[in-house]
Amino acid sequence: MTRWAPVTVGCAAAAAAVLIAGCGSTPAHHEAHSGTKVPAAPMDTSLGNATGSWAAVVMGGSAATYNDFWQLFSRPAGSSTWTLVTPPGTADNGGLVIAAGAGSSAVGAFLPSQLLKFTPLIQTSDGGQAWSALSPLEAPLASTPDALAVEPSGSGQLLALTATSAAEQAGPTASKWTTLASSRTLAATQAGRQCGLSALTAAGYSPSGAPLLAGVCSHPGVAGIFADQNGSWQAAGPALPHSLAGEAITVLRLVTAGNQTVALLQAGTGHAASLFAAWSGPAAGQWTLSPTLELHGSALTSASFGPSGSVAVITGAGTAAVIAGSGGSWQRLPALPPGTATLALSATGPADALAVHASTLTVWQLATSGQAWTKAQVIDVPIQYGSSG
Amino acid sequence: MPGMNSGLNVSDPTVVAAFRSALLHQGLIALLIFFVLGLAWLGLREFLPAAKRPAATPPSAAPAEPTWRLVLRVGFGIVWVFDGILQAQPKMAVGLPSQVIEPTAATSPHWVQDVVNWAGTAWSYHPMQAGAAAVWIQIGIGIWLLTAVRGPLSRLAGLVSVGWALVVWVFGESFGGIFAPGLTWLFGAPGAVLIYAVAGGLIALPESAWRSRWPGRLLLPGVGVFLIGMAVLQAWPGRGFWQGMVNGKPGTLASMTASMAPTPQPHVLSSWITAFTGFDEGHGFAVNLFVVVALAVIGVVFLTGRPRLIRPVFIAFVVLCLADWVLIEDFGFLGGLGTDPNSMIPFILVATAGYLALVSVPEPAAEPVGVAPAAVPADPADPAGSVGPAGWQRRLRAALAPHSLASVRVGSVAAVGAIGVIILGAVPMAAAQASPVADTILAQAVDGSDAPLNFAAAPFQLTDQNGRPVTLGSLRGKVVLLTFLDPVCTSDCPLIAQEFKQAGQLLKSDERQVELVAIVTNPVDYSTAYTQAFDREEGMASVRNWLYLTGSLPELQRVWHDYGIAADIEPAGSMIGHTEITLAIDQHGRVRYEMGFDPGPGTAATESSFAAELTDTARQLLGAS
Repeated sequence: MTRWAPVTVGCAAAAAAVLIAGCGSTPAHHEAHSGTKVPAAPMDTSLGNATGSWAAVVMGGSAATYNDFWQLFSRPAGSSTWTLVTPPGTADNGGLVIAAGAGSSAVGAFLPSQLLKFTPLIQTSDGGQAWSALSPLEAPLASTPDALAVEPSGSGQLLALTATSAAEQAGPTASKWTTLASSRTLAATQAGRQCGLSALTAAGYSPSGAPLLAGVCSHPGVAGIFADQNGSWQAAGPALPHSLAGEAITVLRLVTAGNQTVALLQAGTGHAASLFAAWSGPAAGQWTLSPTLELHGSALTSASFGPSGSVAVITGAGTAAVIAGSGGSWQRLPALPPGTATLALSATGPADALAVHASTLTVWQLATSGQAWTKAQVIDVPIQYGSSG
Repeated sequence: MPGMNSGLNVSDPTVVAAFRSALLHQGLIALLIFFVLGLAWLGLREFLPAAKRPAATPPSAAPAEPTWRLVLRVGFGIVWVFDGILQAQPKMAVGLPSQVIEPTAATSPHWVQDVVNWAGTAWSYHPMQAGAAAVWIQIGIGIWLLTAVRGPLSRLAGLVSVGWALVVWVFGESFGGIFAPGLTWLFGAPGAVLIYAVAGGLIALPESAWRSRWPGRLLLPGVGVFLIGMAVLQAWPGRGFWQGMVNGKPGTLASMTASMAPTPQPHVLSSWITAFTGFDEGHGFAVNLFVVVALAVIGVVFLTGRPRLIRPVFIAFVVLCLADWVLIEDFGFLGGLGTDPNSMIPFILVATAGYLALVSVPEPAAEPVGVAPAAVPADPADPAGSVGPAGWQRRLRAALAPHSLASVRVGSVAAVGAIGVIILGAVPMAAAQASPVADTILAQAVDGSDAPLNFAAAPFQLTDQNGRPVTLGSLRGKVVLLTFLDPVCTSDCPLIAQEFKQAGQLLKSDERQVELVAIVTNPVDYSTAYTQAFDREEGMASVRNWLYLTGSLPELQRVWHDYGIAADIEPAGSMIGHTEITLAIDQHGRVRYEMGFDPGPGTAATESSFAAELTDTARQLLGAS
């Protein structure tokens, strides 16, 4: 038998080891495709109208263990007391979207979570004191606070934006849904092409009852708000000033307050991002724009709307600002109470700060001086920890 | 890896008790196998006393088993028995796929994970059979190696050892982790059972190899080649072995040993591991330099083939292996889920065998004297004496002759018994694998056993998902599996629906005699719009005997009351709290079983197990009619 030369064999072993080292090494990870990140509207929100206010905030514990539960609070107009009115019947860990209708009516949607894949709907006509089920939307609703809208004049028509970027419309019982548009079909229209529509972010109704959709425009300086006029989608967004001509524009929120549509938009991204509000005027396509509010790199964590078109925002830096309505200017609010999830605006009174700590909601009211927050109410929410795990 | 984890607690008392019981029963059968074989052998010897004489005659032409083979055969025989005993630990039945196989495969490429997942899923579906099979196959191989000294039975033991070792290496050790980053000899590369396979291969060599010098020339140099390769791998930059700490965190070796310290074990052992981890964190470069140099030097010296040079280095290698075994591999078999003593003991055995093969001069073959070519071998398991042109049929016939059987050695009888033990473990596992359905023990572990009942089911009049009226009376003549589901439930009810769906598929031809029925348990969302949405969500339209019933709220409340079902509105965004049971109603409308139906972890294995439980119950009622 030929004796193998130790050096030769050793070299072979070394070569094998090199090969194994190569095979076993962790491959270098390439950077993820740096696509444009669409700014998302936070789900903590409040909405006021002539009959009262609604506020939806997440409470409880960790989302990882399904101990985060969305709670709905309502406050009748003229009252300073909030009441827990979370609709029953479905676990709402996925999120809760509330669409105010005429008077004290509202429709709520439970965003599907875990194994639930469709969207249960529920309605109230008395400010949330009693709820009754509507037929479900057999698709997951988009995770945005304006994914559901109720026609404001009282017809009860519903408009929903799904997670697959389809706009679905149904009658008051929600028993039959029909697709009005999708981001793809809307992007193919003339209005969509002008905007370079890349995603839908909000659905709503104009004061006259026309379906509205809003989204993200890839063409800079264009605001993507579209109105359905007799089956044809037309650009309805505000014309933007030259100062925003180079900015990417995203419609974050779209609500109807009284006889006007109010939009909250983001211009630019990252550290250069700023917010501005837009109020529709009596004539089609006529909008009033607010001054911009620089975000200084922080994210929007809540946006709220008052009954007369007022808008309040909270940023990740813990700062808050409010604008009274069309023609107003942003006013910085004093440092928010710890845990403030959203602000609530009323027609006449001061802003409320709704602060969350686990299962306790504390309502803070801004003193008339506008300089300090005063604790006004504490609500202990009977969260059933572990019930969704 | 989707099917790997049954989701049950590794110490689940139901499974542990059933596993113990299965092992006890099979252990008794194993003893019976040995008892019957022993009795038969003694009986033959008693009735054929002449047969005793040839047994006392040593095989004239056969060489003595060389020491190196004895070391491998006995050493790995003991190791296999030890591994088999480790497989009998209570946590093994549930814990091996999720706590041993899955973490091992986690860092390997996807194709490795896919291969491993197949086996892990099979185990998690049949934990009792798989766990018991691992016990008996390994104990059987061990006994076989220990008792079959020579001849075809002994060589076959080596081959079976190779086969099973490769099975364990691929599926249990994810190819020994050779495709994963961080591969190192220190931690067991290239997988302990791959060394078992090498040893099995050497044991399986024909006896002609015993007389040659090539085992001595190849075995230890082979180990040397391997160690040089491992030294290069250990020295390879960028793998984290040269640093004790990297960016404030333990380096590769220190993090490996740190992960071993929490293993349940005597404090003194964990303190050694912790101390070594601390030493490596502080002197990572020196530790790795020592290892690289030691492996390279040992490897090169083994390659020289010079016994005088090799002897001290061999002793150093043994010491290095023992140090690694204690300080880095942490013995490998502790903590309740250790499957083997890891790689260092096998390495010592192989290196010892290699050293002995090198220094021992093979005995020359004895001349066959006075043995006729067609003579009956002294031991049918050892036909080395049956020289001549006899074919295998002739030899087999001769071996099976009563006086030949009576003359076999006790070791051969024990080896046959060991084969019986292997079959004892393998056959139930193979039979279980033939069924795609998980064992019902998983469902019983989650919710306990079915409660037998016998009372008339409460009548109801409800509406199915298509708007058609359904009464209990209209289902008379069929077995009804009745459960209660919330259509907007986010967790358990979709899982239960899938279990019913699987049961519908398993029932096959019995499908027409069984109705799978659910009644809505949500006092808010109970319209047919919700039952239809639920059915579409869960794909229940394909289940022909599926009915999802609802009604007005008062009608539903009456049914809930009659069947003792809670359906409570919970506050603050919680889902409806409702009872999770399934009732089995026979063809005469009588409730015969109540099954707890909390789906537990909701894994593929438990879903399949619940489906099997439903199917078994339905068939039991159909059979009883």
